[in-house]
Amino acid sequence: MIKLQDVCKSYFLGDEEVKAVDDVSLRIEEKEFIGIQGSSGSGKSTLMHLIGLLEQPTSGKIILEGKDVSKLSDDELSMIRNKTVGFVFQSFNLINRFTVLENVLLPTKYSKYYLDFDPLKRTEDLLKKFGIYDRRNFFPNKISGGQQQRVAIARALIMKPKIILADEPTGNLDSKTGDEIINILKSLNKDFGVTVVIVTHESEIAAKTKRRIYIKDGHIVEKYL
Amino acid sequence: MKFQNGYLHLAKTAVEDFRRNKVRTLLTSLGIMIGVLSVVMLIALGLGLKNYIKEQFENLGANMIMVMPGGGFGSGEGGAATFGAGLISGGAGFDEKDLISLKRVTEIKYLVPVYFSSAMVESEQEKEFGYLMGVNNDLFKIMNSKVIEGELFTESDIQVRSKVAVLGYSIADKLFNNPNDAVGQVIRFKDQRFRVIGVVEKTGDNEMDSGVMIPYKTTYGSINPNKTFWAIYIGVESKDNVTRVKKETEEILLKRYKKDDFSVTEQSELLSTVNQIFNILNGVLVAIGSISLLVGGIGIMNIMYATVTERTKEVGIRRAVGATQKDILKQFLTESVLLSVFGGVLGLLMASLIVLAVRPFFPLSINLLAVVIAFGVSSAIGIFFGVFPARRAAKLPPIEAIRYE
Repeated sequence: MIKLQDVCKSYFLGDEEVKAVDDVSLRIEEKEFIGIQGSSGSGKSTLMHLIGLLEQPTSGKIILEGKDVSKLSDDELSMIRNKTVGFVFQSFNLINRFTVLENVLLPTKYSKYYLDFDPLKRTEDLLKKFGIYDRRNFFPNKISGGQQQRVAIARALIMKPKIILADEPTGNLDSKTGDEIINILKSLNKDFGVTVVIVTHESEIAAKTKRRIYIKDGHIVEKYL
Repeated sequence: MKFQNGYLHLAKTAVEDFRRNKVRTLLTSLGIMIGVLSVVMLIALGLGLKNYIKEQFENLGANMIMVMPGGGFGSGEGGAATFGAGLISGGAGFDEKDLISLKRVTEIKYLVPVYFSSAMVESEQEKEFGYLMGVNNDLFKIMNSKVIEGELFTESDIQVRSKVAVLGYSIADKLFNNPNDAVGQVIRFKDQRFRVIGVVEKTGDNEMDSGVMIPYKTTYGSINPNKTFWAIYIGVESKDNVTRVKKETEEILLKRYKKDDFSVTEQSELLSTVNQIFNILNGVLVAIGSISLLVGGIGIMNIMYATVTERTKEVGIRRAVGATQKDILKQFLTESVLLSVFGGVLGLLMASLIVLAVRPFFPLSINLLAVVIAFGVSSAIGIFFGVFPARRAAKLPPIEAIRYE
């Protein structure tokens, strides 16, 4: 489904070039459940941003569903993000001045296509599914972290994406709540066939995925040490 | 559907945000409010004054030349003050000889001797201050005033010095319950009795509306023993001839009078001077209003920059879920335009209230132009001063924005 070919991403810190992702080639098939594991600074977040089309590679190619997306315009990338990708972040990244319901609805406002579902109905269904329907009119900062992350997952799912990218989704949660979130992601993959990529530094979390990819200093390595 | 949904969503979000930051919103739009208020008020004032003056002059035909004693309109204390002073003094006085010599100017179509004096006018029921004007029928033609009841006096009324009068609308209204009833009644003026034969329509000209017009020869006698006139009104058929007739009139009168003893004024001259003054006044006032609009716009730009910084993370989140740069630009532009138009509407409302309050005393008016300016200028300011902050927001790199704390 997604193919990375010799992808590099480098930044300039002053005059110094930092290669966050260095010559990475990677294939993610449809309906996979993958863990990308790496320590902080390993480049795993950058890799996720590249897969999620939030950033363009410095060199190399990213092929999404057979189409080279590494040279697309900002507008085209935004459209693909909207339609195909769902993000779940460590710090939830909900908009605090919107209610739970409005947060989940947000991606539908940016759809450039006619939606094949009723946004409000689908939002309510998702909230019910994740047991937070009674919180729909709350503001994010008035509900627990676990609930916030469920809202974020609902938001990631609203546009029926092909792939969910979760960046340290349990990082701000206690282990019990974290497990629940991982289980939700797992069930999305299992029951609905959504491709799920979890980026984490914890091997216990990565161990719950079906395939693990280790990344160190911007490279994919065989075994994490 | 989707399009509308998008803008509705943006507007709704913006309005909700304004509600959360009531004080900030109000203070920000205050600058625009004051700006729009002043511009609209100035336009209302300018238009009101202009209309008022224009109304006063419009009733006098545009192709009219006034021969008056002394400095007249153009010089001296200027404008209406001299006009009033001239009325009271009675002036040097012209007589029938002047009429005869002026009649020789072929381009002159109407020639009206004007005897003028003011006193109490009495009907059987009422007493009212009014102006006695000894004139001929040409006056009504120059002044463009039509009979609404009865008739005007005839040439033979003038020759046989008939004691008949045509009333201005205002005075007829005050002296008789119904102006239409005036015809056939008798009024008294300076111990003389006149039979009312006609009433003319309202002209907006104060002297004319409160005037008791009688045949000029009727004044000869106890009212006007010297048989003189305060002024001579000349009507010229074609606009092109006005200047020439004015010159010829001056030449004719110079044979009898000294240069300073009379003045010949073109009515359009007067109007254009007045117009010029108001145009300058308007320009200055609009400039002042524009400065407050500019300052208000800078205020909006300032607050929008602060809002963009405040919402950097939100911009990142929106970009991640699929907002394009244009979507972000639209969001912030909608907000700045709404903020500015809100100020504009407040300003317009305030101006309307003031106009309504002042209206009984002065004919201020808010016209479409003022409304268009209020909305147009405030939206333009919202767009112009909002586009820089909005562009900054749109150009934020998504990843950096989403990490911003």
